[in-house]
Amino acid sequence: MTTTQPRLTQTFRFLHARYADGVAELAYAFDDGAPLIERIRFPDAPSLSPERRAAFDAALKLLHLVAGVSYYKAGVPPKIELLDGALDADTADLLDALYLHGLAEFAYRNHLDLRGRIQFPRAASSSTRSEGARAPALDLPARTLVPIGGGKDSLVAVEAIKAIGGEATAAWVGHSDLIATCAAATGLPTLNIGRELAPELFELNRLGAWNGHIPVTAVNSAILAVAAILYGYDSIAFANERSASAATLEYDGQQVNHQWSKGSAYEQRFGAWLHAHVAADLDYFSLLRPFSELAITRAFARLTPYFDVFSSCNRNFKLIGPKPADRWCGQCPKCHFVFLALAPFLPKPRLLSIFGRNLLDDETLADGFDALLEYHEHKPFECVGEGAEARAAMYALSQRPEWSEDALVARFRETILPQLGVAQLALEPWLEPAAEHHVPARFQGALKAIG
Amino acid sequence: MARSTVTLNAPAPLAADAPWIVMKFGGTSVATLPRWQNILKLAASRRAEGARVLVVVSALSGITDALKQLSAEGDEGKRKAAAGAIAQRHQTLLADMQLDMPETLGARLADLAKLAAAGPAQSGELAWSAAVQAHGELMSSALGAAFLTHAGLPTRWVDARECLAAFALPNQNERTRVLSAMVDAKPDPVLAARLAGQGELFITQGFIARDAEGRTVLLGRGGSDTSAAYFGAMLRALRVETWTDVAGMFTANPRQVPTARLLQKLDYEEAQEIASTGAKVLHPRCLSPLREPRVPLLIKDTNHPELEGTVIGPQVREHARSVKAISARKGITLVSMESVGMWQQVGFLADVFAQFKKHGLSVDLISSAETNITVSLDPTENLLDSDAVAALASDLAKVCRVKVIAPCAAVTLVGRGMRSMLHTLSTVLAEFDQLRVHLISQSSNNLNLTFVVDEDVVDTLVPHLHELLISAGALRADDNALFGPSWQALYGAGEPVSATVWWRHVAERARLLKLAAQGTPRYVYHLPTVRHQARALKAMSAVDRWHYAVKANTHPAILRALVEEGFAFECVSPGELDAVAKVVPESVPLLFTPNFASRGDFERGLATRATVTLDALHPMEHWGELFRGREISLRLDLGRGLGHHEKVRTGGAGSKFGLPLDQLDEFLRLADAHGVTVRGLHAHLGSGILGARHWGEVHSQLASIADRIGSIAFLDIGGGLGVPSHPGETPLDMAELDAVLRQAKAAYPHYQLWMEPGRFLVADAGVLITHVTQTKGKGAWRYLGVDTGMNSLIRPALYDAWHEIVNLTRLDQPGTGLFQVVGPICESGDILGSDRRLPEPQEGDVVLIAQAGAYGKVMSSPYNLRGETEEVVLED
Repeated sequence: MTTTQPRLTQTFRFLHARYADGVAELAYAFDDGAPLIERIRFPDAPSLSPERRAAFDAALKLLHLVAGVSYYKAGVPPKIELLDGALDADTADLLDALYLHGLAEFAYRNHLDLRGRIQFPRAASSSTRSEGARAPALDLPARTLVPIGGGKDSLVAVEAIKAIGGEATAAWVGHSDLIATCAAATGLPTLNIGRELAPELFELNRLGAWNGHIPVTAVNSAILAVAAILYGYDSIAFANERSASAATLEYDGQQVNHQWSKGSAYEQRFGAWLHAHVAADLDYFSLLRPFSELAITRAFARLTPYFDVFSSCNRNFKLIGPKPADRWCGQCPKCHFVFLALAPFLPKPRLLSIFGRNLLDDETLADGFDALLEYHEHKPFECVGEGAEARAAMYALSQRPEWSEDALVARFRETILPQLGVAQLALEPWLEPAAEHHVPARFQGALKAIG
Repeated sequence: MARSTVTLNAPAPLAADAPWIVMKFGGTSVATLPRWQNILKLAASRRAEGARVLVVVSALSGITDALKQLSAEGDEGKRKAAAGAIAQRHQTLLADMQLDMPETLGARLADLAKLAAAGPAQSGELAWSAAVQAHGELMSSALGAAFLTHAGLPTRWVDARECLAAFALPNQNERTRVLSAMVDAKPDPVLAARLAGQGELFITQGFIARDAEGRTVLLGRGGSDTSAAYFGAMLRALRVETWTDVAGMFTANPRQVPTARLLQKLDYEEAQEIASTGAKVLHPRCLSPLREPRVPLLIKDTNHPELEGTVIGPQVREHARSVKAISARKGITLVSMESVGMWQQVGFLADVFAQFKKHGLSVDLISSAETNITVSLDPTENLLDSDAVAALASDLAKVCRVKVIAPCAAVTLVGRGMRSMLHTLSTVLAEFDQLRVHLISQSSNNLNLTFVVDEDVVDTLVPHLHELLISAGALRADDNALFGPSWQALYGAGEPVSATVWWRHVAERARLLKLAAQGTPRYVYHLPTVRHQARALKAMSAVDRWHYAVKANTHPAILRALVEEGFAFECVSPGELDAVAKVVPESVPLLFTPNFASRGDFERGLATRATVTLDALHPMEHWGELFRGREISLRLDLGRGLGHHEKVRTGGAGSKFGLPLDQLDEFLRLADAHGVTVRGLHAHLGSGILGARHWGEVHSQLASIADRIGSIAFLDIGGGLGVPSHPGETPLDMAELDAVLRQAKAAYPHYQLWMEPGRFLVADAGVLITHVTQTKGKGAWRYLGVDTGMNSLIRPALYDAWHEIVNLTRLDQPGTGLFQVVGPICESGDILGSDRRLPEPQEGDVVLIAQAGAYGKVMSSPYNLRGETEEVVLED
C-alpha cells in the first residue's frame, strides 16, 4: 500500500496501456510510487481484426492519456511524464487543453491555479501541426453508439436517430440501474462498458488527495472511441446541448465551465483528432448541439413512455424505484431545472405526476430557483441551461393561469419580473435550432425530428 | 383424473317459497377445473341449507379483455383468429373437465364466430361490441351448467337478459346506455316463482342485460358484482355471496398497510363509502340495489371459505362507535378559486361549475368559504394528457383568482357517526400539523372525514395514521366482533408477535412467577435473547462493525454478553463512557456520539480511545483546536426523519440532531483549517423502523457525499432497527436488510459500513414484572392498578409506546374485559396500556409488561419517591 502524500508529489507518470480479452488496463503512478491501475471492461468483445489494430492502438493511447485526469488531479504535481515517449503537437495540445479547462472548476474549488502547470511532453520533431491530416478510413459499419445517461437528453437523441431509421446501440459506462432501465425502455441493443477505478485512488483520497470535478464526458468519449473501433461503429452521437458551451463563471480571468468537455470546442477538437489519428470514417458529434435546453425539453415532452423511467436528478442517481421520489430528490439544481424547463410543454397534472410534487409551489425552494434564474447569485455548478432559458420558462408560466398562483411563480411575477425586460423573455427564440454544429450530413434528418 | 361428483344425501325437494342464495364467482374463480370443483362444492352446500341457488359467473379470466380487443380489431381475418383462440380456451377447459361439447356452449361459440366474421357494420359499432363482449359470460355460464349438471348437481342455464331489463336515464348517451347500462332491480315475485317452477339450481351471467329494444347491453365495470346484486334484490335473496380472492374489505389497503384488519361487519353506507374511496374488492354501485330489500352481501375468499369474510347489511346498533377504515386516493388535482365576487352573488357557483362541465372535468370534493371555493378532480387520462386544466384555468381566471394544486391525495377516514368520534381523533389529527392540508371535507351523511394533502406524504402517512387510529382507540381493533385477523396474518408473513417469546415458555414463566413472589416491581433480563439478537445481526456480512448503542440499557451483564458477541460500543455521554470502561476490555472499539455536548464533554471523550462524532458547527468553529490532528466522524442531517413518534425521529429540521447539509462545506473548511480529518460520516434518522430499504437509501446518500469529501473511510448508517410491538406488525425482514446492505456495500466497497443498534438487541430480552394492587370501575371504564408505573417505564407516557401486557398468573385464560392498566404515580398520564383485553384480574396476580429491556430502567426516575426498580439477570 502506498504511503505517498499526494499533494507533495512531483511527477505524474503515464506507465502503460494494455488490452487483452476485452479488458483495457491503464496504469499510472506518482513519483516512484506503486502503479495505479484502472480497468475498462468491454463485454463480449470480438477479436480485433488486423486492419483495425493501428486505429485501436491510437484510440487506446488517447484513452490512457484522457483517463489519467482522474489520477493526476489527486496530486496535481508540477511534472507530467510519459513512459512511452513524447506526444505529437496535435495530441499534446488536445490534452493540455482538456486538463486545463476540464479541471477548471476543480481548480477554482481548491484555490489552485493550473495555468502554466499542465504541460504534456511533446516531441521536438512534431512541432509543426499536422493540419488536415486524415487517418485511413476503415469501412466501419454504418451504425451509431448513443451514450445514454438516464436523463432526458440522450433519450431525445435516441428517438431522433430512431426516427430516421438509424441503427443504434444504447451505450453506457459503469453500473447504474437507472440507466439500465432507461436503456431497456429505448428498445435498442445495449452496451454496458465496465470501468473500475484504481482502488489505490481511494487510499490517496484518504491521505488527503485533492478532490473535485473531472471532465468525465471526455473520459467516456475516449472509452466509446475505443469501443467503436473494437465493435465496429462509424459514429458516436452524444446528446450535449448548446448551453453546455457556456461558462459557469469567470474567475481570475479564466472561464470556468462545469461541463467543458461537453462543450462545442471539445467536441470539435476531439472529433478532428479521431479523424486525424484513428479513422477517417469515425464521426464523433453531439446530435443536440444546435438546440437549447428548452428545445430539447419540448422534444422530450412528446416522449410519454419514458416519463416513468428517466431521471436527471443528481442526488438520487444511484437509486431507482417506482415512486417519483425514488428518482427525483426535488432539492438539487437538476431537479429544479428539468421541472421548470418541462413545465411549459406538458399538461400540469402530467408534469406533477412525473415529479410526485410541485416544486414551484414550495417556498423553501426559492433560493434554488433564484440561482437557476441567476437572480442574486451566479449560476450553480451543474449541467443546467442558461439563466436566460430558465427566465423564459418562468415567464411563460407566469402568464398561464394554471401556474401563475404557485408560490414561486407568483414570487417571480411580483418580485423578479419587474426588474426584467419582457422583450428578452420570449420562449419562442429558444426553440429555434442554431446553425452551428458538427452533425454529419446523414444525421441532418434527425435534427429535424427534434426541432 | 377422478371426475368430481357430489352425492347429495337425497335432500328433500324444496318448497316453492324456499329462500334464494345468490353466489357470484369472478374470472379467476371460473378459469380452471379445480376452481369449478370448488364452485360445485359450495353450491351443493348452499342447496343443502335448504335454499335455491343462483350462481352468477364472470367470463374466464382474460376473456373479456380478449373480446374487447377483438371488437376493436378492424381486420376480419384477425377477428376470426381471435374468436378461434377464445373458443380454444373454452375447449381446453372442457377437455380438462372430460366433458363433450354441450349444445349450449357450441351455439355460443358459433354465434361468436359469426359476430367476428360480420363485424360491426350491420348492428352498429356499440351494439355489436356489446354483443361480442357479452359472449365471455354466456360461454362461461354454459360451460358451468354442463359441468355442474354432469357432476350430479342438475343446474339450469338462465339467460340473464331475460331477467335484467336496463332502463335509460335522460342524461345518458348511447355509449353509456349500451356499455354502462343500469337496471332498476326491485323484488320481483313473478320472476322468483317462474324460476322456482323450473328447478333448484341455476347459473347465469354477470355483466349483461337487455335494453328496451331487446339488444344486449353491458353493465360496465364491476358488472358481475352488480348483476349478482340485481338478482339478489329481485329474488329477495337470503343473501348474496361474492366469492373472490380476498376475505373481504380491510381497514386499509393491505398493500400500504399489511397490518390492516379484516372488517367483519359493515352497513351498506359504510361499505359503499369504503368502496368508493379506495377499496377495489367491491364496486360501489353494487350495494344500492340491496339496501331497500335489506339483502345482506357477503364477501368470501374462495381459498379460505372457512373465514367469515365481510358481511354487509343493514345498520346495527350494538357496536361501539369506531372508525372502520382509512383509505387514500392519489393523483388528485385541486382547483382553488378565490374571489370576493362570489359573496352573495346569485349564480356565481353555477357559472363556475359550468366551466368544469365545458372542459369535461368531473368534480368530486367541494369545500367553500365566503370568498373561496376549492374542488377536487379525480385522476383521468384526460386530465393528465390534455390541456383541459390549462383551458379551465384560463376560463376561470376571467372571473376569479385560480390556483391549481397538485399532485394531491385524499385521505379518508370512514365510520358511521364520524362527528361524535372527533374527540378520540386528537392524536390522529395532530399528525396533520406538519403537513399541508389543502382541504377538509365532512359529508352531511356523517360517514367520512377527508383530508386532501400532498401526494408524496401518503405512503408513509396512511400506515402511520392506521396505527394511530388503533392506539388512540378510534379504530377499536380490539373488538373481535367487528375486526377480524390482519391481512398479513391471512395472506402475508403471518401474525408475527411471537408465541415463542422467551417468557411464554412454561419454565421461564414459572421462573418469573417465582421471582415476582420475591418482590416486585422488577426488571428481568434474559441474556440468551440478547445473544440471539446479536447473532442475527452479526450474520449480516456487509456490516464491517456493529456497535451496541448502550443508552438502551447499560446493565453490565448485557455489556459483557455483547463483548462476547464481538460488538463495539457507542456512548453518548462521559457517564456512558465510564460505565463501558468499567466492563469492556481495552481492545474493544468505542464510538462517542454526543449531541449538544459541552466543551468539557468533548475533552473527556477525546481523552478516551473512542472515535468522536461531531454533529454541529459550533464545536469546530469555537473549540476547533481541541480536535487538531484528530480523526473525527461527522453526523449529518439528511433532511428527513423516520420513526413511530415525533420524539423518536432524529432527522429533519425539526430535530436537534445532525449537521444540516447546507453547513457541510463550512464544516469541512473549518476542519481543514484545524488539521482535523473527517474519517467517517454518520446519519441516524430515527427509531423503530421496520422497512429495510431505508438503510440502503441512507447509505447511498452518505456515500455520494463521502465521494465528494475524499477522506472518508467509514459510513455509519445508525441503528433504529425496529422491533414489532403491536400484534400484527411485521418484523424487520433480516434477509431483505442483508440484501439491501450487501447491495449498498457493493456499490461503494471502499467505505467500511458501520451500524449501531440499541433497542433491537435488548428490547425483547427484558420484561417488567408487577403485581396487581386493585381494580376500579368508573362509568364504562375499568382500571387495573399495578405496583409500578411511569416511574419504572415511561415509554407509554412519553412516546405513546405500546407494550404488550399480560396477566402472567392467568396467561392461559381468555381476555374478557377491557382495562386501562395504570400505575400508582400521581399523574393522569401514568397509564402503561389502554383498552387491554385481559382475563378478570385478582389482587396479587402477576402482570408482565413486555419489551421492557430497552429504554426501561435507564429512563426510570425517582418521581414520587417510590424507590429503585430492581434488575435481575437470567444468564441462561
